[in-house]
Amino acid sequence: MQKKHSRMMLAAAGIVVAALATTGCATGAAPADSGEKVTVTFWQQQMEDFQQEWYKKNVDAYNASQDKIEVKLEVVPADVWPQKLATAQASGTAPDITTINYGKIGEGVPNGEYLALDEVLPAASLDDLKPNIREFVTIDGKAYAYPVNVEASKLLYYRTDLVKAAGLDPNSPPKTWDDLIVWAKALTQGNVQGIAEAANATDLAWSTWGLQWNACDHTAIDDDWAEGLATDPCFQELANFYRTLYQDNLMPQSPKTGYSDPAPYINGEVAMMDNGSWAFASLKADAPDVLANTAVAAFPSMSGAPSETTATLGGWALAIDSKTKYAQQAGDFVNWLAADGTERMVDYFTISNFARFTARTSVEEALKGVKGADDPIVQTISNDVVSFAKHEPAYPFDISMAIGTAIETAMKTDTDLGAAFQTADDSINDVIAKQSLAGANPFK
Amino acid sequence: MHGLPRRVASAILVGLIALSVLFPLAWMAIAGFKGRNEAVRSVFQFFPDVWRFENYAAILSDGPFLKALLVTFLGALVFTAASLTVNTFAAYAFARLDFRGKRFWWLFCITTMFIPGMAVLLTSFLVVAQLGMLNTFAVLVIPGAASAAQMFFFRQFYLGFPMAIEDAALLDGATRWQILLRVFLPQSYAPLVVMGLASYLAYWNAYVWPILTISDPNLVQIMQLLGNFRSERGTDWALLMAGSTIAALPTVLLLLIFQRFIVNGVRIAGLK
Amino acid sequence: MPLAQQQVLEAAVIARGRKRKRKLREDVPKHLRANRTGYLLIAPMVIILAVFVIWPLLNSFYMSAFEISFYKEPKFVGLQFYLYVLTSAEFWKSIGVGLYYAVLVVPTGMLLALFIATFIKSLSKRAASFLKVTVYLPAVVSSVIASQLFIFIYQDHGVANWLLSLINSGPINWLNDPTTALPSVALPGIWLGFGITTLIMLAGLLDIPDSYYESAQLDGAGYFQRMFYITIPLLKNVLLYLLVTGFTLAIQMLDLPLLMTGGGPLGSTTTPNLYIFNAFRDRTPYATSYSLTASLLLFVVIGAVSLLLFRLIRSDKAVDA
Repeated sequence: MQKKHSRMMLAAAGIVVAALATTGCATGAAPADSGEKVTVTFWQQQMEDFQQEWYKKNVDAYNASQDKIEVKLEVVPADVWPQKLATAQASGTAPDITTINYGKIGEGVPNGEYLALDEVLPAASLDDLKPNIREFVTIDGKAYAYPVNVEASKLLYYRTDLVKAAGLDPNSPPKTWDDLIVWAKALTQGNVQGIAEAANATDLAWSTWGLQWNACDHTAIDDDWAEGLATDPCFQELANFYRTLYQDNLMPQSPKTGYSDPAPYINGEVAMMDNGSWAFASLKADAPDVLANTAVAAFPSMSGAPSETTATLGGWALAIDSKTKYAQQAGDFVNWLAADGTERMVDYFTISNFARFTARTSVEEALKGVKGADDPIVQTISNDVVSFAKHEPAYPFDISMAIGTAIETAMKTDTDLGAAFQTADDSINDVIAKQSLAGANPFK
Repeated sequence: MHGLPRRVASAILVGLIALSVLFPLAWMAIAGFKGRNEAVRSVFQFFPDVWRFENYAAILSDGPFLKALLVTFLGALVFTAASLTVNTFAAYAFARLDFRGKRFWWLFCITTMFIPGMAVLLTSFLVVAQLGMLNTFAVLVIPGAASAAQMFFFRQFYLGFPMAIEDAALLDGATRWQILLRVFLPQSYAPLVVMGLASYLAYWNAYVWPILTISDPNLVQIMQLLGNFRSERGTDWALLMAGSTIAALPTVLLLLIFQRFIVNGVRIAGLK
Repeated sequence: MPLAQQQVLEAAVIARGRKRKRKLREDVPKHLRANRTGYLLIAPMVIILAVFVIWPLLNSFYMSAFEISFYKEPKFVGLQFYLYVLTSAEFWKSIGVGLYYAVLVVPTGMLLALFIATFIKSLSKRAASFLKVTVYLPAVVSSVIASQLFIFIYQDHGVANWLLSLINSGPINWLNDPTTALPSVALPGIWLGFGITTLIMLAGLLDIPDSYYESAQLDGAGYFQRMFYITIPLLKNVLLYLLVTGFTLAIQMLDLPLLMTGGGPLGSTTTPNLYIFNAFRDRTPYATSYSLTASLLLFVVIGAVSLLLFRLIRSDKAVDA
């Protein structure tokens, strides 16, 4: 009996020892000023393949070009990004640099998560940014992220061949919501439906920001973040527009893919598509034949007046963790990658098929001569949409969800719209109260 | 009655069950031969327009993918052995032994069955980070090895064993360990296989925990890797289907080998 | 079945149960008490659970009393988040959705598994082997793939609507109609889980001596009578186990609604874990504390309902040690 027991205990002990042994010793991290090689971690949120390739290529090049700083790149899928970042922050192993969406800056900065870049980037790099986009990353006079690109969130893509066949003029795309409904009706024939649109509360929440600006001149709450504005009748007009599209069967009732996925349009199941500027890149890469029959216009506005906002400007930037031990080194890499010189960014925009736009004046100049940048679709997006697009809201997503849910209610039920938006407004005021949002707008 | 009508009815039923279960899987395997957007085309079509082999070829020649497959497979085997050991030992103790504080420890273990993963995701990550277990094999195997649900199952099973054999063995001077190893375990093939398969699959399909704790390319698990095939802006479904089909193969093989242990006659002869 | 035979059968069942009853704690003779062996045997399990589950749980309860921030001083707020979660209509709605989902998936899955396991038991060795592997195969497919497969089955021109058209019934908007969405998500849930349920049932069924069935059949007991008077009572422990674990897993379902519907339409497929997952999106201190508190309250709900299930089935050997 004794033998069996001690054997088991030895085995148990052995397992524990083996486990601990495999953990290895944590090597001491090099101090920032010692001149030893320093490792800086960089997390990139997973996007299209070409983005991963571009980041990897440049990280390797940077590492090869000098031997003081080594950048370690890690690609993280979007669905686990919040958990992974939070657990890393909690355990003190947060990455030094991350890609960040503009919308997240307003949440992270008041929480003290990000480093002000004014000390670690040359002033010239920050001055090179276009003023309206520089505002996206500036809070209280300091810049907290360096933009890589901007994207227009909402455009109207349409099949010129199908439009002609339906007796419409592809050179005068719909300008108002009513016009769009007329087009969608004419284009819904047989197995083809008029337009691919957002169909669930989450997609509606963020994809209608531009239209909310358009219809109401404001979004769901006021500038002070003190009260909800959802009972403003303009929201109900927006909801009615979506209600017609859905209930008249002008859009797919059971979408197979997310709103941002252009596959249904590529497969010819819909004649028009409401999608962001990134879809242009997918079309160019995966379906050039469909692209040959595609034209793009600014998404219709409520009134049809020219140069109105219907899209918001989203996009990605690079931010540095405020608790990083290697601020100067991280800043050096960020500057090298996104702000210094124009070759790397021109390369980025080229391989992204010009479906993304630059935030830097110098890069915009440099792109003027590049083949492909003068594509009429790219020009349309740049001139008609990007110039008028507004900043994404910085308030908590729950508020946008309240509006998204109200619009979804309008689409999928026959609920009275006044009641639906009253519910949304109550929801919004509840969020404002619980999260103490009054006066907390960092961009004010 | 084993007449022909009964045989035919049986055969039809087997066919129906197999069809309803295998149809989606066959679709997944065939989709791997389609083009990128073809796999999600609306009008349903089972077979591809053109049989493309590039997806499967790409997967089979992808070094990191195959390595992840191997690493995950080995990890799953180790994990299964560890979890079966931990859980059957505890189950035997709770089913057959008596010791001080037994009820307390029983409740201690069973309560963990009801804890949602999210409630402890952050805090258990903190524990493994502080123990220096990040990016090690241990972090994938040890925390999940103790499963109250599995232990509960074995305990129910052991409770049903008649006492007679045990009493006889004890009177002969056998130790508890010998009873466990020589009497209980050999008679538990069916539950061991079933629970073993469950452990194996739990490890195999793990997605979030490996992503949080593993960044070393040598330890990347297969589901982590497949996660990289997806993106909000457009997934290459055909490639993902091909990858998933190949990833499923080792498990299918194991199934084929071990299913024969779930057979009749594993129990000690019935009532006395 | 003649009364006498029924009585014999019931006596056999009771006798079997009595064998288990014989070993209540008070009856264990001193020489069988084995403290050291007992502790050694449960030690690995207890240690792992204590370090990786119980301690983190306690820590989570502690953290839920603060507005959690990793960059600033966490602010102590006591039970405020508990109040926020408990007064949130959406939280309770998600609990309702979780319970509804469990009710859809667990009994159906168990019934299916019982019938199929019984069927497999009656088959020849080769056919049985074939089916044993086949029913388990869906579990091999990850929930990501399963979601996508079923999205295709449910789409406007997909297989489901095609089958309906064969009986001249109109196309249904499976995933986008608030009444059909959750049942539509439940189907892949059943599909994924019923393999292991069937195998567990099978293992339990094989435990029942054939002699019972034979003598019952000799007395003319039909299929359902045999099921009711022999199979189900003797499977009680297995059934209880499957019910409790099935429920626990079902109410925690996250992947399928996340990938298939995003929680819509109108929140009709937002299960509790999905609600928590979405609440965490913003990553603000508020969102972090709120989602943590909600998951702790979910723990309380799961524990309470499971306890109810135990009491309901009244299996004395399940709760007492």
